[in-house]
Amino acid sequence: MSHPTGAEMNRDLLHPLFNTSWRFWLLVAVFGGVVLFGAVSWATQLWLGFGIAGLNWPVYWAFYVTNFVFWIGISHAGTLISAILRLVNAGWRRPVTRCAEVITVFALMIGAMFPIIHLGRPWLAFWLFPYPSERLIWPNFRSPLVWDFFAINTYLTGSLLFLYLPIIPDFAAVRDKATGLRRRIYGALALGWRGTPKQWHRLETAMSIMAVAIIPVAVSVHTIVSFDFSMAPVPMWNTTIFGPYFVAGAIFSGIAGLLLAMAVLRRFLHLEAYLHPVHFENLGKLLLVMALLWGYFVFNERLVTYYANEPAEMAVFWSTQSGAFAPLYWTMVIGNFVLPLILMGIRRFRTITGCVIASIGVIVGMWLERFLIIVPGLSQKYLPYSFGSYRPQPVEIVITTATFAGMALLYVLFAKVVPIISIWELKAGEHPSPSLIPPATEEHRLGDLHL
Amino acid sequence: MTPREPRGQPEQGRGLKAVYALYPDGASAQQAVNRLRALGLQDRDITVVSAQPMEDYEFGHIGKKTYMWWIACLGGLIGMATAFGLAYLAEYSWAINVGGLPIWAWWPNLIIIFELTMLGAIAATVITLVVTALIPERGRGFLYDPEVTTEGQVLVGVENPAQDRVSSFERELSAPPGARLKTL
Amino acid sequence: MPRWGMAADLDRCTGCGGCVVACHAENNISTVGDDQASRGRAKHWIRVERYYEGEFPDVRVKFRPVMCQQCDNAPCEPVCPTYASHHTDDGLNAQVYNRCIGTRYCANACPYNVRFFDFFNPSWEKPLHLQLNPDVSLREVGVMEKCTFCVQRIKSAQIGAKAGQREVRDGEIQPACVQGCPSKALVFGDLEDPESEVSRLSRSPRGTKLLEDLGTKPKVAYLARVSQT
Repeated sequence: MSHPTGAEMNRDLLHPLFNTSWRFWLLVAVFGGVVLFGAVSWATQLWLGFGIAGLNWPVYWAFYVTNFVFWIGISHAGTLISAILRLVNAGWRRPVTRCAEVITVFALMIGAMFPIIHLGRPWLAFWLFPYPSERLIWPNFRSPLVWDFFAINTYLTGSLLFLYLPIIPDFAAVRDKATGLRRRIYGALALGWRGTPKQWHRLETAMSIMAVAIIPVAVSVHTIVSFDFSMAPVPMWNTTIFGPYFVAGAIFSGIAGLLLAMAVLRRFLHLEAYLHPVHFENLGKLLLVMALLWGYFVFNERLVTYYANEPAEMAVFWSTQSGAFAPLYWTMVIGNFVLPLILMGIRRFRTITGCVIASIGVIVGMWLERFLIIVPGLSQKYLPYSFGSYRPQPVEIVITTATFAGMALLYVLFAKVVPIISIWELKAGEHPSPSLIPPATEEHRLGDLHL
Repeated sequence: MTPREPRGQPEQGRGLKAVYALYPDGASAQQAVNRLRALGLQDRDITVVSAQPMEDYEFGHIGKKTYMWWIACLGGLIGMATAFGLAYLAEYSWAINVGGLPIWAWWPNLIIIFELTMLGAIAATVITLVVTALIPERGRGFLYDPEVTTEGQVLVGVENPAQDRVSSFERELSAPPGARLKTL
Repeated sequence: MPRWGMAADLDRCTGCGGCVVACHAENNISTVGDDQASRGRAKHWIRVERYYEGEFPDVRVKFRPVMCQQCDNAPCEPVCPTYASHHTDDGLNAQVYNRCIGTRYCANACPYNVRFFDFFNPSWEKPLHLQLNPDVSLREVGVMEKCTFCVQRIKSAQIGAKAGQREVRDGEIQPACVQGCPSKALVFGDLEDPESEVSRLSRSPRGTKLLEDLGTKPKVAYLARVSQT
């Protein structure tokens, strides 16, 4: 396979920034319309009162918190791919890192909106910020929601910087090619970047430090999100497995999201020369591993619950497995376990199309998993007289749909103003440090295989 | 040897802000750097600019030494101290009993301490990057040519050259294959 | 420092629901309408849980009035991000409406499901608004509310006792449910005082606590029915 030259890379990867077709405007209009619809729905909820949502006594958390956990989970894509693969010098990550980091930032921003959307009095959400108030009171540091606040803000700040720093050299590339106002804007964004060895070193050192820092933060973020559930004495919530279970699920859904994004970009931006089937295969294998891990955690959780045979927990257990929630539950199992195992486990099916189908299945399955953790447990707590049920109302469905459209919209806009594949990192792969290629293996470098 | 571009300045060397050349690959650029060093220039007076890090060449390792890791650790310590102070202030300024937990509860507080530690490390890293790499020193750090990114060239040159040495710089910079000499 | 508690004698409880009505009247709890009630939005700070046992015609009905248990180890308190749910020195779980931002975490954490969310702004059709109790604040949409052991009556009695330079007498404080119970099934008092009626009843061999094994340390003692037929 011929490798694109530097000039070709610049041309291909900067193409979307300098050429806009009617398809772009159509996508923006469609996605933007759905997002607007969602915003109007939320405004309606604020105006008419929270009661237009489907929540009730005792199911006080449902779609909004499901979406919150789901999107924070999706945001673990960038961390895994970008940070871990960067630290282990896996060269195949180079075309993929920015796609992944972008997913992280946008998914975090969307997910972080939901703790505000689901509040009864969202205009007071700023009370979670620790500031010396005239009420002489601080937020409760012992509350998992305050931990959420700190964790998500730390992760968002870290991810934004982790995304922005490696874009700086690419902003410089756009600056050099652009003219007029665009040149000035990108020049400002490039922060005066030139490309001296010292600057490259500082940048790469900063990226390494941040990769080391962001991995524990990412793990902690979704663990803390899981603490929102495990800290409450609800049947099947108060379990220690939630921390690792949620983190594994987050990485799982993140990889699926990344695969989808990569497939879409490859098709729409004609990046066939940069996103090779081997990239999809590698990520597909990771998806398979995470599917197995997910199955392992689910088995653990359910076996231990089943064995204890505690009445309150078994009521929730059976309601998911064979009761009212059974259709959703088994759909989840198919989407999260059966489909990825077949499509990613059998090499013939591990194609780009197979990856896309498996990823869609995983995304649906993981959304259902969040829902099935929250609602069945809350529906059947300890006193049967107060058992309840839940049905989503239009406002919740519209807002959920709007977040998916919002993610797509943000992605489309981003790909329009920033090269979605990191140009300098691709080129850097052709100039590896000697420490990465010990002399003994120098002769065995496969001709066109660039790190 | 490629022909040199005609110089616009009537007087040799006076008022030149920089003299540099563009090279099509790293090997030529490395030769240029070595020749400039042979003239007695220090590494910090030689400017090299490329569109990507080129660590397979020696010039790609100029200016490598950095304290950034230590500064990141320091930032983490500052973050940790901030978290301790904040948690202490928040929990003791008006001690409220919730669920029988102690006022200072180690296990929950460790979470916030961890997050702010990492935030401190990240912030320190980025601040160090901006201060040491992105803010140029006065009068220096301006040498750049857009052809570095648009044509994938490597730039090697000297900023604020001593007037009497400009011609020797120009000679050495033009020597490696593929050199295109320019001045500012 | 008093420690307020209650005892509910299930032998005396007839399931009439008088306590529920009294609570609504005293604490300005709005009704939500039949549509909202069918969707599970009713806010009964105290409710009578009714369970059927057995098959017809040998059906037995069990009643249990359930209100906020004012747990000493309340799971609803540590999870509130704004300290709206916290523990007072006299053992009550206080809900501060002004601090509540409506995350509803406390309601999820409560195993007794005694916390209620205001899904809409409450409304009282005229002239029912004249019936509102001026001692109890109205709650706007988006905050949590629950049984307070009629803290306004507790405070009022304490103020009266202080003004009269005496201690609060046992039985002087009667929350609305206690006052409204026709069979005197509910008793309220100071658990710190070993001679008070509620302490005596709490020590009864018929007494159990609701969901005690969860470790919440509730302060309502339920005295089992003597005859189960």
